[in-house]
Amino acid sequence: MPSFPPFGARREPTRSADALPVSFHHEGQQFSARDTDTVAAALLAAGVQVFGRSIKFHRPRSAFCLTGDCGSCLMRIDGQPNVRACQTKVAEGLRCERQNAWPSASLDVLAAADCFFPQGMDHHHLMTALRPLNQLMQRVVQELGGLGRLPDAAPTMDSLPLGQARHVSVAVIGAGPAGVTAACAVAARRSPMAKSPRDRSILLLDAAPVPGGRYLSQAPERGAHALFTAQSLGVELSPQSSVFAYYPEDISPCARNGQPGLLAVSTPQGLLTLTADRYVYATGGHPQNALFGNNDRPGVLSVRAAGLLFFHHGLHLGERPLIVGDTDEARALVAALVSMGAKPRHIDGVSECVLEALGSPWVRAARVTTRSGVEKTIPCDVLIVAEPPAPAFELARLHGAAIAFAEHAGFAVQTNSVGETQVAGVFACGDVCGPLTLDEAQRQGHAVGEAVAASLDQEELR
Amino acid sequence: MSQDHDLTVASKILLCRCEDVTLHDLQAALDSGHQTIEEVKRFTGLGTGPCQGKECLVPTCRLLQRARAEQPDLATRHPESSVDVVPFTVRPPVSSVTLGQLARSAEHGEPGTPTR
Repeated sequence: MPSFPPFGARREPTRSADALPVSFHHEGQQFSARDTDTVAAALLAAGVQVFGRSIKFHRPRSAFCLTGDCGSCLMRIDGQPNVRACQTKVAEGLRCERQNAWPSASLDVLAAADCFFPQGMDHHHLMTALRPLNQLMQRVVQELGGLGRLPDAAPTMDSLPLGQARHVSVAVIGAGPAGVTAACAVAARRSPMAKSPRDRSILLLDAAPVPGGRYLSQAPERGAHALFTAQSLGVELSPQSSVFAYYPEDISPCARNGQPGLLAVSTPQGLLTLTADRYVYATGGHPQNALFGNNDRPGVLSVRAAGLLFFHHGLHLGERPLIVGDTDEARALVAALVSMGAKPRHIDGVSECVLEALGSPWVRAARVTTRSGVEKTIPCDVLIVAEPPAPAFELARLHGAAIAFAEHAGFAVQTNSVGETQVAGVFACGDVCGPLTLDEAQRQGHAVGEAVAASLDQEELR
Repeated sequence: MSQDHDLTVASKILLCRCEDVTLHDLQAALDSGHQTIEEVKRFTGLGTGPCQGKECLVPTCRLLQRARAEQPDLATRHPESSVDVVPFTVRPPVSSVTLGQLARSAEHGEPGTPTR
């Protein structure tokens, strides 16, 4: 019987039609990849398990979320420190190196710190009892502190792209199921009615290397279709555009009536300062880890990361992935894995939950307990954590939206029945308002898009 | 395949992977009398790394809430601790941006055109 392809093996001929081969360098070794890969996906496909070492204990770390939310895949890429490998596309000749290790990330002697401090590090009392000791410790900490070394060369100002300022009718932040559907709903209703191109401009911003948000990790075909529909309705898509702030007091030269408040967006074309008549925050959620022993071990992946690797990047997840947690993303992934002939093990994380990840550096098994206390060890190729994502409320909060904490949902953005926050003209939909299924997110996005269009119509009639 | 070795990894439950803060560290903070998210952040450093709390905020708030529920007399002894669970103060940038990009865009020109 032929053996099942290991974790990271390419599923042929997935995506081969639109992917070109490229080669890149990882610490002196040359690897081949596809130009559709991110550095993180390419490294996992090449069998690289450790992406770097953690800041204090020098524990091995690898990709976890693959959505640019966590900090575990920071690498030195083309001479620039602390670049997220999961948000960087592979290019011909790209060079990547691992950080925070001596002499190397593969065998890091500084990982002895992990043994010296078996439970954690109390830096308040660490060698502070005597002044000379504290001074010595200060020197050591200065040498070890910080992540990454300075860049090979600083860019000159002239080599950087210029900034731009824009005003649009509707800015939708996040091109996942809620955001794309909202943009489509606004466009479908506004296009025939709007008086000028400025009045119907709908800008859909997405931060990831490829837009689609959670579609990519759950239903990429539906995502591609939704994005195609949006663009054919006249929605302008701005990919790789990361909205990093709302500044309430700054005034954009493009703002209507000189109103203060603007979005700051980092794009490949430089910084964009954006204002809009209506804002829709569809920023989704941050993948969450569960609390168990060695939950930072390489091979522990968020369900979104696993879905991205499997559906979007076309990689196998091994014969025996262990999925912990019962979300719709987890169920979609398990069903797809079963149909591929893999033997995933799915536990709900409640009646059976993980105590500890085993294996080094890559996870090889999980110690699991039932509610009644019966323990067992489940071997696995990868440990996939399916926790509800934590709402990405940060931008909406900067814009003045109210948030509320719930044990299950995290800090969810609060909206009224049509998706408007307590700030007039500022809407929110999707996981940012609390965890939803993909279908629920689409429905909510559609309803909010219609409400946005209605509020614009009303304003014109006035 | 990989030549990675790991001889030393101790079993830890990481609450904040960015800053290597363990569940044990949080417990130590609670045992020292700290009760709110800003207090435990200052005490342990959680939430101050590259992800700015996107991973540790919600689990930490859950644990803080549970710790309070286990001490019903806390609200009378420390009225300030009975306030709603709040997140870290959100400050820009909420995701990484280079200083170069900010510097290049410091001056504005005509609407819709490149500025410098």
